[in-house]
Amino acid sequence: MEQAAAGGIVVDDVARSFGDVHAVRGMTFRAEPGRVTALVGPNGSGKTTLMLMLASLLAPDRGRILVDGRDPVADPAGVRRAMGWMPDVLGSWASLRVRATLEITGRLHGLDHDAAARRADELIALTGLGPLADRPTRVLSRGQKQKLSLARALVHDPRVLLLDEPASGLDPAARIDLRELLRRLAGEGRTLLVSSHVLAELEEMADAAVFVDAGVTASAERVERARTAAREWRVRALGPTQALADALAAAGAPVARVDRAGAVVLVRDEEAGADLVARLVASGIRLTAFGPAVGELERTFLDLSRDPGGADASARAEAPALPADDQPEVGS
Amino acid sequence: MNGWLTGLGVVVSLELRQRVRSVAWYVLLGISVVIVGLVTVLLAIIFGSAAEDSGGGVFSGVLYLVLLLGTLVAPAVSGTAINGDRDAGTLATTQVTQVTASQIVLGKFVAAWATALAFLIAASPFLLVAALLGGVTATQVLVSVPVIALELGVVAAIGVGLSGLLQRSLFSIVVTYLAVAALTVGTLVAFGLGSALFRSEVTVTTRDVVYGNDPDDPEAFECGAQSTYTYEAPRTDYVWWLLAANPYVVVADAVPPQYDDRDQVEDFFGFVQVAVRAAQQAPELEQVNDYCDSASAYEEPPTSRETIDGSTPSWFVGLAIHLALAAAALAGATWALRTPLRRLSPGSRIA
Repeated sequence: MEQAAAGGIVVDDVARSFGDVHAVRGMTFRAEPGRVTALVGPNGSGKTTLMLMLASLLAPDRGRILVDGRDPVADPAGVRRAMGWMPDVLGSWASLRVRATLEITGRLHGLDHDAAARRADELIALTGLGPLADRPTRVLSRGQKQKLSLARALVHDPRVLLLDEPASGLDPAARIDLRELLRRLAGEGRTLLVSSHVLAELEEMADAAVFVDAGVTASAERVERARTAAREWRVRALGPTQALADALAAAGAPVARVDRAGAVVLVRDEEAGADLVARLVASGIRLTAFGPAVGELERTFLDLSRDPGGADASARAEAPALPADDQPEVGS
Repeated sequence: MNGWLTGLGVVVSLELRQRVRSVAWYVLLGISVVIVGLVTVLLAIIFGSAAEDSGGGVFSGVLYLVLLLGTLVAPAVSGTAINGDRDAGTLATTQVTQVTASQIVLGKFVAAWATALAFLIAASPFLLVAALLGGVTATQVLVSVPVIALELGVVAAIGVGLSGLLQRSLFSIVVTYLAVAALTVGTLVAFGLGSALFRSEVTVTTRDVVYGNDPDDPEAFECGAQSTYTYEAPRTDYVWWLLAANPYVVVADAVPPQYDDRDQVEDFFGFVQVAVRAAQQAPELEQVNDYCDSASAYEEPPTSRETIDGSTPSWFVGLAIHLALAAAALAGATWALRTPLRRLSPGSRIA
C-alpha cells in the first residue's frame, strides 16, 4: 500500500477511551514527510492522547496507526527507533547535568558511549544550551527545559517528530529559533507533528493542519466550509473614523465593530478583499492597514469550535470533559 | 543478550546517579557507620567479659544491625523508584527509548539493592574487627553475609515492585514498610497469638520427699503423697512455621550454629535458632516429677546442640517465600509498565 511506503504518520479511524471518557473518538489524518503538520484543537480535544498513541505508549481501542511505516502496537521498538517525542510534561532527571541527561538518553536509545557523547555535544550546540551544559537540570527555567526536552527527542536522529506544545514557556527570540529549527528539520525530510495553542505561531511554520475537537478530526468539508466562510478583516486609515465608515458602507462592507486596532469588516474571500481595497482607495481613503484580522488557522479553529456541524455536534454535546491539561487521567 | 545487559547497565547507572548521589545519602550512610561502630564497641565489651572468643557475638550482632538498618532504608530508596519517575515526568521519556519494561524494572531493582548493600559494605570494617576477636568461623561468614545480602535484595525488590504497581509514591513507600513489618514483627505477633490460641492441658504429677519425721535421723526421709496439678501450655509446635518467614529467623536458621564447650550456643544467630527450634517441640502433656525416686529425680534440660539436632531447619522455606515475593513484585511492576498500554487502571496516568 502506498501509505505504508510513504512514511510519515498515518492515522486511520483511531479511537481510545478511558472508562467512560472517550478521549479520542475517531481521528483520521496523514502527516507527510518533509512537512510540519499542525495539530490544532481546544483543551481536552484528545491531542495528547493521540500523541501518546503515536509515541507507542498507549494502544488504540480501534483503528490503525503507522509511524514511519510501522505499527506502534505490533512493533513498538521499531517505532521508537524512528520517532522522537517531546511530551507536554516537562520532566527531567533533576540531579543530572544537561550534558549527562542527553548522553544517558542516547545510551538508552542504544548509542555507545562515544556516539552518545558526540550527539550530546551536537544537540547542545543546536538548541543553544551551551552555557548550561554542566548545570543540573533542576536549575533550568521552563523555557530552558523545553529546549532540553526538544534536544532529548532528537537524540537518536528520528525521522518522525511528535512535539506536544513545544513553544510554551519560550520567550519570543527562542520561539523564532524554535520555528527556524523545526523548519530546518522538516526541510531534511522529517515528518513533524506539532500541537500548540498558540495558533499564530503554528501559522508561521505549519504546512498543513489537522483540526480536532471532542476527539474527532474535523472533516475536510467542514474545514473547507470554515475556511471559506466570510472572515473578519481589519481596516485602518488616516483621517476621521466616520469618513472611513461611510466609505466602507458605500463599498458594501458596513463596519461590524470598531476596536483599538481599527475598524473590522466581514469579507467573503481574498478577491472580495482586493476589490474592497480598490474601492476605498478610489474613494480617497488613505489606507494604512488592510488585512485579515486573525490568522487562517485561528479563524478556522474558532469557526469550527463555534459551529459544530453535522454528526460531530451530537458527539461534542455528550463528550465528557477531560481534565484541563488534556492528560488521560481516569478516576480520581 | 549482550545488548540487553548494556541497556540494563544504563538504567542502573542512571538510577544510581539520579537517586543515590546526594549529600543526604552520604550523611545517612555516615550516621549508620557511627551507629554500627558504637554497637560494635558495646557488644565487644558485653561478650568480651563473658567469653574468650567474643567475635561470634559481635559479628552476629553487627549483621543483625545491618539487616535492621538495611530493611529500614531500602523501602525509602526503592519505594518511589517507578511512580516517583512518573510524578517527575521522566518515566514515559524512558519508556519511548529502546529499553524495555523488564530492563527498566530490573535496572531500578539492581540499583536499589546496591544501595542497600552499601550499608553492608559500610559495616564490613566492624565485621573484620569481630573476626579478629576470634570465634568467627568461615562457614558463619560465608552463609550469613550472602543470606543478609539476599534479604536486603528481597526488600529492595518488594519496594521497586510496589512502586510500579501502586500509583501514589507515598502509598507505595508505606505499603513497602508494612510488608517489611509484616515479615519481621507480624510473623512474631502471629506466632504469639497462635501459640496463645492453641493450648494443651499439661498434667504434672509430683511426689515430694518428706524429711524430719524421724527425730533421731535428720537424713531419713519418706516419700510424700502424690499430688497433681494442671496448666495450659502453648502449642508453639503448631505455629512455629510462622517464624520461618521472618528474615531474622531465616538468617539465624541458615547459619550453622557454634557451640561452646557445654554445647550451648553463644551468639545472636544461635540464640534465635535455638528458640525457633525449641518451639518445634511439642510440650510433654504428662509430666512426672518423682523426687523420691533417685533414678528419675532430675533431668538435665536439653542442651542447644540437642535441641537443634532434634529439630527441622526451616530457613530455606522462609528464603524461598521471600524470593517468590520478590520475583512476584518485580514481575508485577514489569507487567504494569508494558507498552503500548491497553488497559489503564483508575487514577493512573501515563506521562
